[in-house]
Amino acid sequence: MRSTPMPSREKRLWQPRGPTDMLDVKDLTIRLTHQAEPLVQGVSFSIARGEMFCLVGESGSGKSLTALAVMGILDRGFEAPTGEVWLQGRGTPQNLLTLDEPALAGIRGDRIGMIFQEPMTSLNPVFTVGEQIMEVLRLHRPELEAKEVAARALEALVEVQLPSPAQRFHDFPHKLSGGQRQRVMIAMALVAEPELLIADEPTTALDVTIQAEILRLIDRLREKNGMSVLLITHDFGVVAQVGDRVAVMHRGKLVEQGSTGVVVHTPQHAYTRQLIRALPENLPPLPPVPVHDQVKLLEVDRLQVHFPVLKGLLRRPVDFIRAVEDVSFDLAAGEVLAVVGESGCGKTTLGRALLRLIEPTGGSVRYHGQAMETLGRKELRRLRRRLQVVFQDPASSLNPRLTVQTTLTEPMAAHGIGADDEERIALARAVLEQVAMPADTLWRYPHEFSGGQRQRIGIARALVLDPDVIICDEVTSALDVSVQAEILQILGRLRAERQLALIFITHNMGVVEYLSDRMLVMKAGRMEELGRTRDVIARPQADYTRRLLDAVPRVSDHVGRHAAAN
Amino acid sequence: MTEWTEPAERVSSPTFSRRILSEVLLRWGARLGLAWIGLLTLIAVFAPLLANSHPLLLRTAEGWSSPMLRFLGPADATLLGAFALAVLLRLLPGRPLARFLGWLAGLGILAAVSFALISPPSLVVFEQYREAQAEGAYLQVIRAPIPYSAKDYLRDFANTGLEPPRGSGDDRRHWFGTDENGADVLSRMIHATRIALSIGFIATGIALMIGIVLGGLMGYFSGIVDMLGMRLVEIFEAIPTLFLLLTFVAFFGRSLYLMMLIIGLTSWSGYARYVRAEFLRLRQQDFVQGAIASGLSLRSILFRHMLPNGMAPILVAASFGVASAILAEATLSFLGLGLVDDPSWGQTLNQAVQSSTFNWWLAAFPGGAIFLTVFAYNLIGEALRDAVDPHAQSGKAAVATKGAD
Repeated sequence: MRSTPMPSREKRLWQPRGPTDMLDVKDLTIRLTHQAEPLVQGVSFSIARGEMFCLVGESGSGKSLTALAVMGILDRGFEAPTGEVWLQGRGTPQNLLTLDEPALAGIRGDRIGMIFQEPMTSLNPVFTVGEQIMEVLRLHRPELEAKEVAARALEALVEVQLPSPAQRFHDFPHKLSGGQRQRVMIAMALVAEPELLIADEPTTALDVTIQAEILRLIDRLREKNGMSVLLITHDFGVVAQVGDRVAVMHRGKLVEQGSTGVVVHTPQHAYTRQLIRALPENLPPLPPVPVHDQVKLLEVDRLQVHFPVLKGLLRRPVDFIRAVEDVSFDLAAGEVLAVVGESGCGKTTLGRALLRLIEPTGGSVRYHGQAMETLGRKELRRLRRRLQVVFQDPASSLNPRLTVQTTLTEPMAAHGIGADDEERIALARAVLEQVAMPADTLWRYPHEFSGGQRQRIGIARALVLDPDVIICDEVTSALDVSVQAEILQILGRLRAERQLALIFITHNMGVVEYLSDRMLVMKAGRMEELGRTRDVIARPQADYTRRLLDAVPRVSDHVGRHAAAN
Repeated sequence: MTEWTEPAERVSSPTFSRRILSEVLLRWGARLGLAWIGLLTLIAVFAPLLANSHPLLLRTAEGWSSPMLRFLGPADATLLGAFALAVLLRLLPGRPLARFLGWLAGLGILAAVSFALISPPSLVVFEQYREAQAEGAYLQVIRAPIPYSAKDYLRDFANTGLEPPRGSGDDRRHWFGTDENGADVLSRMIHATRIALSIGFIATGIALMIGIVLGGLMGYFSGIVDMLGMRLVEIFEAIPTLFLLLTFVAFFGRSLYLMMLIIGLTSWSGYARYVRAEFLRLRQQDFVQGAIASGLSLRSILFRHMLPNGMAPILVAASFGVASAILAEATLSFLGLGLVDDPSWGQTLNQAVQSSTFNWWLAAFPGGAIFLTVFAYNLIGEALRDAVDPHAQSGKAAVATKGAD
């Protein structure tokens, strides 16, 4: 964090291993019933008192399973995990794996608190915030008086810096934003003063500025209460920011562990090296591509998208949600423009309005000087060839009922590309090659591919029409970092080969820096800043941009760029 | 010419519908349900061969003849022909949809031809064959397994009917007893299978067609179309089907086709709601947005990209709808407002309580058949629902996806 730097991890002393350990996991193995291959295999680590221990890995690595096994809340369908999980601290050490359900229930929430990834669904919508926190206390501190319970619960809300806590105490969860809910979750997890907090991707669903605040909050509470934290994350930036020690998981095995500085500095295991190298900030820079500034592909002038708020029996619009307000920019042929902003800032709406998937309510978009809003249905369909889109969610961006071949050739046929099916299939095959997919992809269905592969097929679908502009709407945010690196490299190469202009909608600053020529920062539907990426990153003009940039966790912050690039 | 036509490459991936089907077949409930419906279908098609007073084949001094064929009605002929056509088309290559449409067309032609050409003798004397056989007029006779037609009333010994199932030792055996007219209950139940199945399928088919069209329009265009459509749905949901049926029966007489039509016309609203909700959801899906952004035509977007993806939950609802249509017909027949002469499970059930004694065999067998059929459709519907719901996948796959990370 640039504005408010965190205490350096290197300086903090952590106690030697042994009797001071909070949690000792030995040889933990988890497997599904009726399945020989374990999902987590022989994982051993220990967390010292007051330590922030990070468990890092890509999706499917078994890091969340490990946490669930420690809590004893694995789903049905799993065999009882083998190994040992010793919880020390208050009282005698106990092997959690040998305890029965009532004993475990007493420990959960009391000695171990847990925070989950999705703040939107982890609070019960029919109880007030205060009620949910008090319930934890009543359960684990039955000796407390009702008055004291309320006081302690309110105190917990103050502790997590929820704005106007006394008022929020009586609110229902739907009135709170995602960040506020995550604060309430932390208050719930901490109100009984646990010795160990397990945080499973606590900031993944949050915006980067809120992520920074939540991480700082967890860190502060850890220091104040002398609590240990097991932080599960996929983000090496977060690890470098807050972790004392880190363990890297890969396919159910712990491949490396050590103090954060050492692991980030000089990763020993090949997989850790690969992970750190795949971070956008560490990717080899793309070769510069000449931008034809004089050819204006798109000129966007004061574009507006307002959604009416309808009320009453006659559904009269009483107000408007200004999703996009007065956004103006232009895009040159072969240029990459990044549109950056936090969730709800209108960047996705902007992308869809450019494509006229959502009708803009004001302003104009000109393609090669021709105003798009004047086009009729037929002309618009013809123009769609030139402006293509790739979506965020690889799970829903391909029609599950159609083979890849149909998905790719149908748009070509609609625009009269290729004389017959055979020619179109040959074209589709060539495009698949460009996105590094094998030729037999054509005859398969989307469910047979991983997220990254589907995203590449999504790019291929956009490419078959040979567009001038592709709008990439958060194309990498659902992907693991190594897969993200592949996709970014493919996009960079395609852009150079095809003179493709990209509008790259993202919230990830590392990606912006890596790929884009210019960047547009949006906040609450309005433009905050527009400029060359290099300039904006180095000298942000708007306050908001500065805050956004400061909040981004970077591995390089930990040790300095050169060492981390390794 | 190019290697893309290699079949080995193409057959490697099962289609979506095939995957759903195999998911469904994983469940024992669905297998039992499908087996029962399949059995009923076979019984319905081959009813004249299974239960018939006319001998299937007989040899007299003049040679072989088949009274069964001579008395085959146009409906029997259509069903048998349709079955043969289905088997034939199953063996031929082609896309499933094309084959299905071909079968439907064939069915239409068959029905037209058989109703135009086939007219069995209107005077039927069931007893003549039994009498002739008793007199020894035939050299050889092959009879159906149940040698009684559905409408072979009281002709046996001129007795009073209402016989319970008899023990062995009698050459005129009624496995499930006889009804108040003296007709064989098993025979009537076999012939009633057709009504049970056809009313379920046709009524639901009519409802589905209306529901999909209206629901699709409401979902895709939303706005004012949606608002008006939903009001129409609410109006139709307010109509009690049973009372409407009773009214129509009172005014227009008893007709199976009228019943199908009314059940169909009053039960589409549920499907329309489903389709509308599906279309509203699908419109926001990225692949549909992508199809619009690719400049595909509205027809392709609606029928290639949206409808097939929204079909699965509608089929689930339909399988429950079939069950309720069967129940509606049984209810009407039970109330004595069903078909007059034609056999129906509900009508037999009705007879169980008509006389002063409780005739258990008239209640147990048709009641059991109704129960099993409705239960079978519910099992299929439930399995289908589980199969299309990604959150309730069966077995290891679900746990693996949930458990991984």
